[in-house]
Amino acid sequence: MTATTMPATVSGLNHWAGLDEFEAFIDDGGMVEPGDAMPEVYRQEVFRFIEFHANSELMGGLTERDWIPKAPGLRLKQIFLAKTQDEIGHAHLLYMVAADMGVKGRTEMLEDLFSGRSRFHNVFHYQAVTWADQIAIAYLVDAAAFASQRAVFAQCSYGPYKRVLKRIVAEEGFHMRHGEEMLLRMAEGTPVQHQMFQEALNRWWWPAVQLFGPDSAPDDPLLRWKIKSERNEDLRDAYIQKYVPLLQGYRFQIPDDGVHFNEEAGKWVVSEIDWEPLKATMRQGGPDSKRRITNAANNWADTAWVRSAFNLEGAGAP
Amino acid sequence: MRVYEVFLKRAGKEEFRHAGALEAPDDQMALTYAREAYARRSEGAQMWLVQRANIVAADPADLATNQTKSHRHNDGSVIAARRKQKRAEAKAGGGND
Ligand SMILES: [Fe+2]
Ligand SMILES: [Fe+2]
Repeated sequence: MTATTMPATVSGLNHWAGLDEFEAFIDDGGMVEPGDAMPEVYRQEVFRFIEFHANSELMGGLTERDWIPKAPGLRLKQIFLAKTQDEIGHAHLLYMVAADMGVKGRTEMLEDLFSGRSRFHNVFHYQAVTWADQIAIAYLVDAAAFASQRAVFAQCSYGPYKRVLKRIVAEEGFHMRHGEEMLLRMAEGTPVQHQMFQEALNRWWWPAVQLFGPDSAPDDPLLRWKIKSERNEDLRDAYIQKYVPLLQGYRFQIPDDGVHFNEEAGKWVVSEIDWEPLKATMRQGGPDSKRRITNAANNWADTAWVRSAFNLEGAGAP
Repeated sequence: MRVYEVFLKRAGKEEFRHAGALEAPDDQMALTYAREAYARRSEGAQMWLVQRANIVAADPADLATNQTKSHRHNDGSVIAARRKQKRAEAKAGGGND
């Protein structure tokens, strides 16, 4: 046996003759590892998806952070600290997985994000106005993120992504349960609190529903390669079936005149979704994008001295 | 002699897992020993050896401080109790939640 030096990426030794053979491997439940000679289209698509996910975790974490000093009471401050730490942690895990795909390095991804060249989830382009918005985000947005991440975890064909998702999904579940507990306090609190959450719900319902994205294309490669295990529209529908009655159970109104229970179909139906605002947000940014990106970019610049200190340390170490 | 920790990964979906340790004079011998000691019956399709001296181990006391961070958990019991109460109210026919 000969020793080989470990490449920057970890395991994987597979080669495939072509895309057909690769897809047959995926169909058999095969797991792709970083050192595998994966088809370039797979590498690029999966990388883009993970980079987008990492960016969203980071931007989400920075949003949570803004609310730590404003959270009412020590207990909630602690919880928001824990959540912020989780989200930034999710970004760390995902940036490592993405970097090991060999498309872009971590620093490059961060610089692309802070210069506005990268995309992240629609929900982090809007402004959280009151504390209730932050609860709506914790309850509705974390739940939507949980559902879509769990669907990626279910069959995920890319090994390192699947392994970090296990932890991420578990922590997202913690966020969701906290979200609902905070919601419960608002729902059963004073009329002012109830109204405050209703207003936040009016702002966040549609962005949360739209987080799943428009209907999946029939030939979506991410579905074909088992990165996604469910179509966007199916995830969105399951979310609506769960959250419409839950919110109504707390005596909140869904901000949609068309929402109703269709007896025949035995399910909740919402009005047709106008995707234009989402598309425009993703193209040109939303009401709070500029402030958020500038904020993140300033933090990045302010902490340059830490990175350079680490580099000096590394170079001088024996 | 050096001590090596052995990690094995089966083909397919599993991740690398710690399998055990062994003593060897160098990397080459360690690989041979490890194959014979830990991977005789296809316990793994891939194997990593890490010199124990290269492992940076945390002090358990530093980890122990994280055992008591209750704000990092939520077992869902508050919500579950609320749902249970709602169901009981509905059953009792109160109806006016
Ligand atoms: Fe997260
Ligand atoms: Fe979260």
